[in-house]
Amino acid sequence: MKKIGTLLAALLLTTSIYAQQAFKLKVSGEVGTPLELSLQDLTKLPRKNAALTDRDGKVHQYTGVPVYAILQKAGVTLGGELRGANLSKYLLVKCADGYEVLLSLAEIDNGFTDREVILADTIEQQPLEATKGPLRLIVPGEKKPARSCFQVIEMVVGYGKE
Amino acid sequence: MNRLKYIFCLIILGSVLIALNAAVSIDFFKPEPYQLTYPNYFGNRYLIPNDNPTTVEGVSLGRMLFYEKALSAGNKISCGSCHRQELAFTDGKDFSQGANGTPQPRNTMALVNLLWTRNLFWDGRAKLLEVQVKEPLSNIHEMNQPIATSIRKLEALGIYSEKFGRAFGDTKITEDRIAKALAQFERTLISADSKYDRYLQGKYQPTASEVNGIALFYGRPNAQGNIRSAACSHCHGGPQTYSELYMNNGLDSVYKDPGREAITGQDYDKGRFRTVTLRNIALTAPYMHDARFKTLEEVVDHYSDHLVKSKYLSPFLQNLSGGTANNQMNLTINEKKDLIAFLHMLTDSTFIQDRRFSDPFEKGSNYKKVNFN
Repeated sequence: MKKIGTLLAALLLTTSIYAQQAFKLKVSGEVGTPLELSLQDLTKLPRKNAALTDRDGKVHQYTGVPVYAILQKAGVTLGGELRGANLSKYLLVKCADGYEVLLSLAEIDNGFTDREVILADTIEQQPLEATKGPLRLIVPGEKKPARSCFQVIEMVVGYGKE
Repeated sequence: MNRLKYIFCLIILGSVLIALNAAVSIDFFKPEPYQLTYPNYFGNRYLIPNDNPTTVEGVSLGRMLFYEKALSAGNKISCGSCHRQELAFTDGKDFSQGANGTPQPRNTMALVNLLWTRNLFWDGRAKLLEVQVKEPLSNIHEMNQPIATSIRKLEALGIYSEKFGRAFGDTKITEDRIAKALAQFERTLISADSKYDRYLQGKYQPTASEVNGIALFYGRPNAQGNIRSAACSHCHGGPQTYSELYMNNGLDSVYKDPGREAITGQDYDKGRFRTVTLRNIALTAPYMHDARFKTLEEVVDHYSDHLVKSKYLSPFLQNLSGGTANNQMNLTINEKKDLIAFLHMLTDSTFIQDRRFSDPFEKGSNYKKVNFN
């Protein structure tokens, strides 16, 4: 009887109404292969640095995976394929708090621009703070940090349909 | 033989009549599109599913269902019991009571400008009104009635079959159709005639206090801390006075209600709730998901002076003071008054008196209330 009680107590302790889930970054929409990448999966991709002037007025160094590399892995029409109708495609970046920002594919393609848009997981080689990580979009070279959004959870590629 | 011929002819004639009837009824089913009117500054990012266009007939049915008490156990409450028009479709209570007397776990939300709302409930667990409305209908702590019972009761009332026919092409009453009609009605609840709207349209000159309130509301704190700001606009900025965001707004550091975390299973969503519209906010007390603040003064005091710092607090509510010791906004008494003057500009008395949204079963209306049971 005592055993059953202990078992029940253990069960109650381990079961909550809502189960914590492992973080996954989703890549969907006009892609060859939709992806759900864990933070571990992202470590297998190349890493780059990017500098961003934050809201505190200071320049910070971020490190992470180029968005280009993630989209390439998902089979998005980049590089030589980014021409013609594919130039009307966009990337919508969605964040955990519901915030959304949009970039055209040309804005992240190395054939069009030298700036490196990355999904950062570190700032000055330290993990991002809890309210901004685990992944923050870094769009360098802009006057405002408004597109460098926090807690990215999903990237959707679509066609501008108007 | 002649008799056989006669029967054969009858069958043919019958088939032709049935076919004709079907063709005629299809021809008759032409619901009239409902004209949703709103100012350009609300934008057109609204959400109407392709299989549920807003029609005059659907909205009319939805309005009746919204105020129909037969949809609850014991015919005690309708949607309109907890969502009262005069209070911008809230009920002034901390927690509304369901048909069985149970208080709800969270404060009743206002039904305002839902045409644009992409996340529903305090935790955003429904994305479409057609999905959202089904929950309170059958939830045991809300209207507490299985949908099959609701359908049977609506059929027995007699007044609904024709309305369903006009809205959906035939008189069948189904759960999906009930949800669709309710969603159609709710999409028409557009509030766009407040003092603030008249100001945006250049038809109203705000007082000095209101002007200062607007400046504080929209002011964005800068790194130097030399802009007086109440930091409202990241979440509540723009004519809609809300963005589709979930925020931890510093109410607690230990969370009795996990909020968004219960939906996503992510620790960083702890204590996050939807950013709600501020339109008609002066009518929708008490405030916050747990109704802890009874007045707008208490709400403004919270954001100004009592934000609880935790690792979950929204980054947009951090470092607002420009370096003062307590790291709070510390608005002055006059600044708080001005901010509240602006919030009162969002009250829309046209919206809360609009006959199109009122109880159709009330005295003097076209529909006679049928006593059920």
